[in-house]
Amino acid sequence: MHERTGGMNRRGFLKGAAAAGALAVVPRHVLGGPGQAPPSETIAVGLVGCGGQGGEDVNSYIKNAGGSYRMIAACDVHEGRLAGARKKFGEHVYLYTDFRQLLERDDIDVVSIATPPHWHALVCIAAAQAGKDILCEKPMTRFIAEGRAVVTAVKRYGRVFQIGTSGRFGAHKSGHGRTIHKIMRSGLLERCPAVHIRKGGFPVKRYCGRVDLQPEPVPDNLDWDLYCGPSPLRPYHPHRFGWSHRYYWDYEGGSLADFAQHYMDPFQWTYGKDDTSPVAVEALAAPAHPEACGVWAWVELTYADGLTLVLDGNEWGPRYDRKPAHRLSLDDLDEATRKKVEALPDPEKPRSFVEAVKTRKPSAGHAEAAHRAVTIAHLANIAIRLGRKIRYDPVKEEIVGDEVANRLVTQPMREPWHL
Amino acid sequence: MPVSDPLKALMDRFPEPDANGTYVNLDREKIEAMQAVVADLCKGGRESVLGLIDMLAEPGKGDDIKPHFAFHLLAVHVTGLGDEKTRADFARAVASQIGSDRPKGVRKYLVQELQWAGGREVAAALGRALLDPDLCDDAARALAAIGDGAADEFLAALSKVRGPSRLSVIKKLAVLRCRKAAEAFRKALGDADADVRIAGAWGLARIADASAVDALLAAADGAREHWERINTTDACLALADGLQAAGRKAEAVRIWTHLRQTRTEHADAHVREAAQRALEAAT
Repeated sequence: MHERTGGMNRRGFLKGAAAAGALAVVPRHVLGGPGQAPPSETIAVGLVGCGGQGGEDVNSYIKNAGGSYRMIAACDVHEGRLAGARKKFGEHVYLYTDFRQLLERDDIDVVSIATPPHWHALVCIAAAQAGKDILCEKPMTRFIAEGRAVVTAVKRYGRVFQIGTSGRFGAHKSGHGRTIHKIMRSGLLERCPAVHIRKGGFPVKRYCGRVDLQPEPVPDNLDWDLYCGPSPLRPYHPHRFGWSHRYYWDYEGGSLADFAQHYMDPFQWTYGKDDTSPVAVEALAAPAHPEACGVWAWVELTYADGLTLVLDGNEWGPRYDRKPAHRLSLDDLDEATRKKVEALPDPEKPRSFVEAVKTRKPSAGHAEAAHRAVTIAHLANIAIRLGRKIRYDPVKEEIVGDEVANRLVTQPMREPWHL
Repeated sequence: MPVSDPLKALMDRFPEPDANGTYVNLDREKIEAMQAVVADLCKGGRESVLGLIDMLAEPGKGDDIKPHFAFHLLAVHVTGLGDEKTRADFARAVASQIGSDRPKGVRKYLVQELQWAGGREVAAALGRALLDPDLCDDAARALAAIGDGAADEFLAALSKVRGPSRLSVIKKLAVLRCRKAAEAFRKALGDADADVRIAGAWGLARIADASAVDALLAAADGAREHWERINTTDACLALADGLQAAGRKAEAVRIWTHLRQTRTEHADAHVREAAQRALEAAT
């Protein structure tokens, strides 16, 4: 394994070179001549989680946003995946099996997190504590309290956070989307008559976990204890590792957890709900297994202002038919209100991660927005797992009148981990 | 104990998983069958619960797919009836088996299910389970989730547990913001184990202990390893926030001022800036 060397970081090198009057002989790529991004604009990245999604976010949110990055280090609990990271990013990449060691590096600007979701919050928080900006794959968290802890850490340390989904950029481009956003944020609409139905796009059946897993020997190249991390230490089975981790409550939360963030990001931006959550949640689903995610038909979530959001799996069980879809428009307003809304300026364009890192302003997929979006999925899953309607206080971030449901909002972690 | 024929017949009505080992195959009829089985189990009271537990197997030691699933559904069912007595009776029946000579894997599962259905009535049984290193982690998480009556169990266990179990107990006392554990948290700051030191720091921050300011700052300043340093520093900032919220502004300002003045390295700029922002917001 490529050992980390201590001492000199990138900024330290530049400072030293300037002081020594050595700029005249410094290579062009250091200064950033034509065709070369100067090192101050090249984002140094450490990757935690080298599986399927590992390294995708740096392309999506740095390279495709006009920035440049250099992968400095990678971490994974599986040695085979680590070796794959070196093949993908180059022999220069330092490799770690423990993210805590990666975070010690002071030559990393951004940590890109692509572990299974049960690790996302802890690595995000630790990255913020270590002074790194954060790219975090979706879903942001595994349970609701994790999201608030990440928001707190990002704010405390003034870090830039970007979730691994970008639907709001497209929502902003839509004229109708901008109009709805203006109506909702204007404060002029007392009750929202909109019914937003997301039908399909959730692989409900594929994301069902197996209930017949029998313990198998832990492979030599996998640190199973560290993989399980804050989640219960279950007997090893390959279906709990790799792509299929998505199908288990311990690591993710099925198709809702894996996909809702993609769909909720543009919805939330459009309807101006980045700072709040639904207050009532009801689901039609099969009885839920304690470990394996199962099938569900639909989930209806209602906001305090009346806005209704429906997630219809469109694969199993009956389809949602309580309310017809209704997209909010200026037609829902009286003439006077319509004119006021039309006079409002268009919402600001969502800020890219690269721009956010430069300006130190929130990125489009900032932590609060991402937390609220994934909270929708978590609330849906809580209603599914309990088989009953729940009411939620979006300010206290607690379920109202159901103490057992609150045990799913905040879930104590396995040692030595804590939020 | 041999499982009764009526209970076996009841479980025979519970649907089987499909050939892939999932329950994708559930339809309305199968779901109604599941619900009926659970309702009958509930009516059967303690005898049914114990009989169902008899059908559970350790992972890898037998097929208990249906009783395992049915048991969980029963645990969730009793929490939604609005009938506190039924829930508590179920929980007590389950708790009565935690200290039995049943296989360890079965007892772990029972403890996990108490995290769903347990209340104060099972705190003592879970407290005893803290003393078993194989059950401690699950019992600690269950107790922390239950909350009511948990702190006393953790405090009682503190002097009796070692190693990972001790860390678990200290951490969960911090989860519960147990002020009676202040001395334990303070003592943990000087432990030989870095994880215990971090737990102590976190605990003092969680209870917003104003008398711990100097000790916590010293712990953060003196932490040699990066992981411990960032965690204890964060505990200092969290303590400051807690003190500020509790109206102890002077102590909070002392923490922020200290961090602003001492975190001079480039790598600590974010800590310095965090402290500066906090000071500006407080004035």
